[in-house]
Amino acid sequence: MSKKKKNQVSSKPLSARIYNHRWFYLMFLPVLVFIIVNNYLPMLGLRYAWYNYNGVKEPVFVGWDNFAKMFSKAGFWRAFYNTLQLSIIKLILNTFAAVIISILLNEMVNLAFKKFTQTLIYLPHFMSWVVTASVFGLILAPTDQGLVNTILKAIGVVDGTAESPYIYFLGSKTWWRPVYYVINLWKDTGWGTIIFMATLAGISPELYEAAQIDGAGRWQRMKYITLPSLANTIITVLILNLAKVMNLFESVFVLMNDIVVEQSDVLATYIYSQTFNSGTIPNFGYTTAVGLARSVVGCFLVLVCNYASKKTRGKGIV
Amino acid sequence: MRKTTKKVLSASLIATLAVSMMACGSKDTSNSDSKADAQTKEDGTTSSDSKDNAKSDVEKPSKITVMCDGTVMTEDNGRAQFESALEAALGLDIQFIQPDHSSYSDVLQQTITGGEWPDVVIIPATYYQSYAKQGVLWDMSDAWENSDLKASGRVDERFVDCLYIDDEDIKGLFGMSATRGNGCVTYVKQQWLDDCGIAEVPTTYDEYIDMLRKFKEVKGTYAVSAAGLISKEAPYTNYLPEFYQDAYPDFYEKDGKYVDGFTEDAMKEALQRLQDAYTEGLIDPTAVTNKTSDCRTKFYDDQFGVFTYWAGTWANNLSTNLEANGKNGDIVAMKPIKELGKYVERQSPVWAITTQCKNPEGVYKYFFETMLDGGEVQTLWTYGVKGVHWDTKAETVTWGDKSKDYAEGEFHMLPSLEDSTKLFAKNHIDSTIVIDTWVDSDPGAKSIPEVSQKSAEVFNENSVIANVAVSNDIIAQNSGDIWTCRANIVAEVVTGSMTVEEGMAKYEKEVGDLVEDCLKSLNK
Repeated sequence: MSKKKKNQVSSKPLSARIYNHRWFYLMFLPVLVFIIVNNYLPMLGLRYAWYNYNGVKEPVFVGWDNFAKMFSKAGFWRAFYNTLQLSIIKLILNTFAAVIISILLNEMVNLAFKKFTQTLIYLPHFMSWVVTASVFGLILAPTDQGLVNTILKAIGVVDGTAESPYIYFLGSKTWWRPVYYVINLWKDTGWGTIIFMATLAGISPELYEAAQIDGAGRWQRMKYITLPSLANTIITVLILNLAKVMNLFESVFVLMNDIVVEQSDVLATYIYSQTFNSGTIPNFGYTTAVGLARSVVGCFLVLVCNYASKKTRGKGIV
Repeated sequence: MRKTTKKVLSASLIATLAVSMMACGSKDTSNSDSKADAQTKEDGTTSSDSKDNAKSDVEKPSKITVMCDGTVMTEDNGRAQFESALEAALGLDIQFIQPDHSSYSDVLQQTITGGEWPDVVIIPATYYQSYAKQGVLWDMSDAWENSDLKASGRVDERFVDCLYIDDEDIKGLFGMSATRGNGCVTYVKQQWLDDCGIAEVPTTYDEYIDMLRKFKEVKGTYAVSAAGLISKEAPYTNYLPEFYQDAYPDFYEKDGKYVDGFTEDAMKEALQRLQDAYTEGLIDPTAVTNKTSDCRTKFYDDQFGVFTYWAGTWANNLSTNLEANGKNGDIVAMKPIKELGKYVERQSPVWAITTQCKNPEGVYKYFFETMLDGGEVQTLWTYGVKGVHWDTKAETVTWGDKSKDYAEGEFHMLPSLEDSTKLFAKNHIDSTIVIDTWVDSDPGAKSIPEVSQKSAEVFNENSVIANVAVSNDIIAQNSGDIWTCRANIVAEVVTGSMTVEEGMAKYEKEVGDLVEDCLKSLNK
């Protein structure tokens, strides 16, 4: 199509252009309706953040009361800080572990072993969090049946007596967070390597060959070729995931318990417990206010990430 | 893309969307009013108030929607056959909505909030009062008072009377249950008693602790386990009753005034007993992270010997599962120790009619009353369907590696459809705790295993009904925080992270104000 003809088409009135592509617009219509019905209409429920509402009686407008109550509650702030802390540390650890494993995989010469290793480390990603929690509950049990404590006993770290008891990893204020990070590393690091492996596959072999001819060793090739090539991807992955840090729920929900509630309660689990563990009909207005606050912070982080992305990559993510 | 292809694709997509939208929005409103009709009046009565509804010429509903938990026959166990048999017996259409049992309360809450209520729902005891006060439940007091069921005199009315609500917000009967609330009794493995040379089960706390110590010493493992150290549903303390004794960790009425039982001396002493036993290694070290299923598995696996669990049918389940795991299935249901006095019978989950039901009188008469008809329908609700779940014909019944011959006319249960290695146990009604008597006699009485009967006897003779969980708007707003704090303190104190005094100080500091607000609202 010539440039002149293209201009002719675009200069037609909008209605004419829509009519011209009416079948495509008709095809798009279901998607549009679906998104409006399922993604946008539910947002109307946000108005309940300014009401006392228990789902049965008519909502009662209370202005900013629910927000004032939320900001005055220690439980909210604890959940807020826990969300940020658990998410951000998890993100950093997972990303850098994925980078290291990707580089190690990339260095593997035996292709069959490399494929086998990749498959092995991808698998945990497909295991549900409920199953993961059960498996680690058994592995970390503070009894003779717990694998880790049995090993610790064998090497003399604990002996299972009252003086030197087994470590209750999932029921210890000290151990819960480290264990949580380790479980997340085990489950998601393999999956996280995919994007880095793709980047590494895209690095020109000529660069390595040239460096080798110039006398660069393995470490130097990694330092001066591999890592700089990965830098942009690492930043992109970090930025994209930073926008999702407020969404933490399932992994925490299945691993938390009454002892470690101060270390583990995040905003999503806080909303859950306020809604379903209240033993009575809850005030949905309050939980909606907390949910809205969480969304606002999440939105702010997306905008910050978008700005950071523009600065580092020259283009935004939204 | 060719024009015809575009047209066909577009038309198909639109049709798909239209059909899916119709499917989402489709509902049968044959027996439901709009939500607006169900609003509660200022004086606490509902628009569907039953004051004038006690008529003899009650219209029979054509269809009833019923939301129930997993205590009613599940799909895997033959709900379709049960539903057909029930519909045939009642001559009306029953539509069951049965969410997963473990998430029933959550789904119920979402359903109520969603605004489209079934005609009949099972309400967990914890929510009974709050739903009644919010106008979700129809007042069936007149229907009950004027019912043939009451007139029959077959019902133990204590278990109906305890469900009457009578406070400044609301008055009436908003739900009924076919069975007592049931509760937990403490089971001890006979094999463990024999191995430790203990002739009798304990009758005092000292004897109880001595037994646990002996078990630990001989078996080399903890002696008692529980799913969590405290339950967040009333009666809260029922899985470790020997340690809690007379402690009640929630608001309750004492000498005409509401108090917070969590801060009372009884609770402090209970926490100390639990901490001592935990430190000594008598209680399962993973109790905090246990789920109920974990405890059962460990019990079947002989990892511990003392388990406080449901009375009645569950006694037989525990026993047969032990045998299935190659262990000795003999268990003894302990009478409550002296310091405990009585086991606590929980408030039973109730069957209730929602205020959106178009014909509540009809539903009461043809659904509620028939459930306890003492005959055909009660048999369905108790034992299931003849020929599917039980039978009386002469036959050899085989389940797992066992089999038994039955003579003609002899009532016997058939293998469970869900697990053919076990016999079907019961439908919704547990005949050991049903609140009425049969018109003739319980057809399956002889099929109830002895271990279940004994367990039910011990419980029924040694239990008191739990307090109704109190509720109002202030409690609704603060309950989540208060219970999170209570559960955290119990867990921390028992596992030794803090002393009882430190725990109480933390409670006062973190939720003292909220507790104060709740007590003020209850005592105003």
